Amino acid sequence: MADATDTSRKRSQVADVDRSLYDFKYSEEGYERYADGLSTDIVRAISEKKDEPEWMLQLRLKALATYEEMEMPDNWGPSIEMLDLNHISTYVSPQTKQANSWDDVPEDIKNTFERLGIPEAERESLAGVGAQYDSEIVYHNMREEVADQGVVYTTIEDALHDPELEPLVHQYFGTLIPMRDHKFAALHYAVWSGGSFVYVPEGVTLPYPLQSYFRLNAQGAGQFEHTLIIVEPGADLHFIEGCSAPKYYEANLHAGAVELFVKDHARLRYSTIENWSKNMFNLNTKRATVGADSQMEWVSGSFGSHVSYLYPTTFLQGARSSCEFTGITFAGATQDLDTGCKVILNGPDTTASVDTKSISKDGGINTFRSSVVVGRHADRARATVSCASLMLDDISRSDTIPAMDVRNGSASVGHEATIGRISDDTILYLMSRGCSEGEARTMVVNGFADPVSKELPMEYAIEMNNLIKLEMEGAIG
Amino acid sequence: MANQIIEAHQEQTSTISRVNVPPAQTWNYLRINDLSFEVPTPHFVGDVYARLPRMFEGVECGIGDEAATWIVRASGDARFVEVKAGEQREQPIYVDIDASATEVRDTGVLVRTGASATIVTCAHGCEGDTSASLLRVVAERDARVTIIELVACGSGQQHLDAIGIDAAEGARIDMRQYALGGSRVALGLACSLAGTGARFALDSRYLASGRDVLDVNHVVRQRGRVTRSDIVTTGILADAARKTMRETIDLVHGAKGAEGSEIETVLVTGDEVVNKTLPVILCDEEDVAGNHGASIGAISPEQLGFLSSRGLSDDVAERLFARALFDDALIHADVAEARQAVLARATEVLGIDVARDIAEVLDIDFEEASC
Repeated sequence: MADATDTSRKRSQVADVDRSLYDFKYSEEGYERYADGLSTDIVRAISEKKDEPEWMLQLRLKALATYEEMEMPDNWGPSIEMLDLNHISTYVSPQTKQANSWDDVPEDIKNTFERLGIPEAERESLAGVGAQYDSEIVYHNMREEVADQGVVYTTIEDALHDPELEPLVHQYFGTLIPMRDHKFAALHYAVWSGGSFVYVPEGVTLPYPLQSYFRLNAQGAGQFEHTLIIVEPGADLHFIEGCSAPKYYEANLHAGAVELFVKDHARLRYSTIENWSKNMFNLNTKRATVGADSQMEWVSGSFGSHVSYLYPTTFLQGARSSCEFTGITFAGATQDLDTGCKVILNGPDTTASVDTKSISKDGGINTFRSSVVVGRHADRARATVSCASLMLDDISRSDTIPAMDVRNGSASVGHEATIGRISDDTILYLMSRGCSEGEARTMVVNGFADPVSKELPMEYAIEMNNLIKLEMEGAIG
Repeated sequence: MANQIIEAHQEQTSTISRVNVPPAQTWNYLRINDLSFEVPTPHFVGDVYARLPRMFEGVECGIGDEAATWIVRASGDARFVEVKAGEQREQPIYVDIDASATEVRDTGVLVRTGASATIVTCAHGCEGDTSASLLRVVAERDARVTIIELVACGSGQQHLDAIGIDAAEGARIDMRQYALGGSRVALGLACSLAGTGARFALDSRYLASGRDVLDVNHVVRQRGRVTRSDIVTTGILADAARKTMRETIDLVHGAKGAEGSEIETVLVTGDEVVNKTLPVILCDEEDVAGNHGASIGAISPEQLGFLSSRGLSDDVAERLFARALFDDALIHADVAEARQAVLARATEVLGIDVARDIAEVLDIDFEEASC
């Protein structure tokens, strides 16, 4: 009896401590919040508030019309029936100016990011940090020595007001993700706010990563940040993206967009740990185009959200360019996560490697969805896709839906998928060595996730392992 | 006057959309979710046709409801065969589809408890519009069924071929599928392993060349405990052929101990081929195992080097792979008419000398026939 009580207390402590890391919220009092729903007036108001050039306003209005015209596909994907745009505010802003010192950030917002460990990470291992709270960036800073190399790390809004950067934004913004890509891409372009603009000049290698963290505090709101990164020839960048939100009982929406331009002989690693709350509809779009002899690396951990549609896409345009996608998705109770990736191999001698893991438990639904398309001119292209799914109980679900379209006779494409459970023998073996059943299962799941976690920066790998532990602790007993 | 009206009806066509739709679909822009067919509109002038017993209506057949309904309506009399309990039927049940005569067949086979039977379907011909076959099989407890499906149509032919199977406890289904020709061919297959311990093994082989369109949908629903499915697909794509292969293993809730495996190997020998593959595993149960593997590519330089060292050019090596496919089809085509149909198709693809040589090696009478 005493043991049971202790165990229960321990579980409770773990759950309480860890969830509080993400599940705290502050009052919106004094915040600027636009009316729920979507209208031309709201779109114009966002544009006006940002004092944008006319071309951006026109792009927003065109996107709004496109959004209203497009439908969601009715033959695939999780249901978003519970997402009602009439009850979502597309713009919520704390009444504060963007700061480049944490001391200038309002106390409640500063506390939020302190609890998430962002300032500490900035001091220890980052070249620059951007922090977005609801619809606006509240903090942005970059190390001086990195700025001295000509690296630009700022917000899209600031770039649009910089005479030198505005033409660059105009040249690249919205060119990789067309607004007709899907309904929520159109929505994004209509109401986007916040995000990052990164420009890495030719030949520059950043010694530390840049990181943007997106926090959605407001209830019944949407976050629509746009990230635009240009890595010039011979440059090298690691960009980290983190996101979280407290849990509410009404729907929140995340429909961001990430456009990545990796020029010749360049390298970009884009790491994401997504831990949105379980009332979030995550309909995010990420896309990269890669030049000759260049590398694009995605590392993606998806733990949160109620519904996810997330498929980072890579166009391997240049000869000998390569793409690696390493991802893990953990779907628990009430979650329906449809994640994966798309790779389009267009250049000769291009290579793509996709390695994903998914874990389903407590009735969670995981769908791994991918496409590998080898174009007509992709001579000798090679691609491998590997996806492994682990089912932790018999009320969950795990589907793998990988598509391949090969149009070049010299290309080589391989695919393997496995779905299974933790064998009883493994659990028994670990228990015979003194582990409890719960510990044994957690160990196996951590081992399963290890190929992904070792690709993450240390603090994110720890966070991911904590998330797994948290989810597993909740499952035992 | 009446004849003129009938002829006018015969010339009418309609479009069957959503052919070969898999249970789980994906991005529509990939154009991998389905196919559509332009088919003659069936016409009725008051005739009454034999239909299958109602038990066959619930048998899923993979090609889609619209296509299956069209086949049933266009087929005229349906054919029903019952293999009695315990009977070990030696004579294959043969379904002949003369594509040149635009034949459409609707067949139902009930294999009773403990019985065994072999079913051979063969679509063949050179010219003509659209032919089709729908075969539905109900295998009762511990039944053993072998199915050989041959599509040996000519390059000008459009064909739809659907097979639906329901397998009860302990039933075992062994199937071989050969797609050897046809300008536009849809193969739909669904197998429901409903009973505990039911097993399904499929060996599917195809050759598509020229500008042929081959569209395949394999669906295995594993509903029973300890069921087992093994799907092995190998194919050759040449010239500017277009192939779409959908393979779904559905591990349904409650199918504890079920295992499903699918493997596809594609040899690409043409520069303008379009090769689409959608291998899907759906899993709604914890205590199961599902595996999929695919390998798509040309003959490796190492393999070509080995063959070259033995005096075989790339072209000859690629033709050897095609010949092996016809060899295999002939070995398993248990019916003389089906063998001649395969040889006729081999003559068209590989030439009369090679076809004659295959027949001689396999000790089959060779009746010269080609398109």
